[in-house]
Amino acid sequence: MADLFDGIVMAEQRFHGEGYQEGFAEGSHAGMAEGRRYGALHGARIGSEIGCYLGFALTWHCLLQKHTDEKNSKKMRALDSLIGMIQKFPYEDPTYDKLQEDLEKIRGKFKQVCSMLNIQSDFRIGTERSSLTF
Amino acid sequence: MSWVQVAVSQSSEDIFDEDADEMYLLKKEWNNTMKKRLKEGYRDGIEAGKELALQTGFNQGYRHGAELMITCGQFKGTLNALLSWCHFNGHDSALSTINNLLDVVGKYEDDVLKYLNSTEEQPHLGHILDSVQDMDLNHTAGTEYKEVKDGKHEDCGSSSENICRNNGEVGSLQSECRKANLCTDPEKSTLAWVKRQTVWLVEQLGLSLDILYHVQQLEH
Repeated sequence: MADLFDGIVMAEQRFHGEGYQEGFAEGSHAGMAEGRRYGALHGARIGSEIGCYLGFALTWHCLLQKHTDEKNSKKMRALDSLIGMIQKFPYEDPTYDKLQEDLEKIRGKFKQVCSMLNIQSDFRIGTERSSLTF
Repeated sequence: MSWVQVAVSQSSEDIFDEDADEMYLLKKEWNNTMKKRLKEGYRDGIEAGKELALQTGFNQGYRHGAELMITCGQFKGTLNALLSWCHFNGHDSALSTINNLLDVVGKYEDDVLKYLNSTEEQPHLGHILDSVQDMDLNHTAGTEYKEVKDGKHEDCGSSSENICRNNGEVGSLQSECRKANLCTDPEKSTLAWVKRQTVWLVEQLGLSLDILYHVQQLEH
């Protein structure tokens, strides 16, 4: 009698297991695709934002290079700091444990740099057409 | 379960006709039960598989998206810096050129996002070119663009096929390519064009070569 019950349980487990394996494969496939899509959109936004800060800072750094007075040297220091922070930031690594923290620091530094340069920092860094507003 | 008793008793007895119906029903019950287990297993499997893969997929996609957009972002930032500089220094004539370039980059970014949000579709070359041509860019910029259009055709003739094949959408991309007379890879054409325009602009404004250097370094 016990053998018969074992047989039933084993048969049920076997069928469950077969279904599980097939489902797991399908789920993995769907999950990868969905995960990649969400990840790509998130990564793209971060890449765009960080890239924007970097391009902006590098350009202004070059523009101010020629005029080396006291006011400008403060601006240059701030720009150097921002550039340094960005270059150290692993923008492409979603598993970076200080991602949000460093991103906030970079955003803050960028706002500081903009105010020093008398530029409004809310030029649309997002994915709309961007142009500075004054 | 009643079928157990039947199964047990089967070993020593013949199956009579009256039992045939019962056997049929019991077999049906067995099949249904096993089908249920199969479906449950399938559902459990899907859930487990998905959960595991979502995070892995997210990490892969994130890296891909970030790398795609970092250069685009740099163009945006550079152009915005130039825009503010021109505004401060009274180079108003350059403002519309820069805004046009920003629009091109913005449109390109939208296309990249659309591509990332869909299933492996490349941004439609035709759309990018249409939006560029629609813009009322100044004469020199327009000439440059025309040169790019005509010049690139020869360069890309041979490599276009390989690139098209890699994209997996051979037919449509190749026909778009011929229509556009531009390099197949949309990234190479749009951002390369923006880069050339930006370099030209920086030269026109008589700005430092350092800026040119960092713009030239931007990979496209």
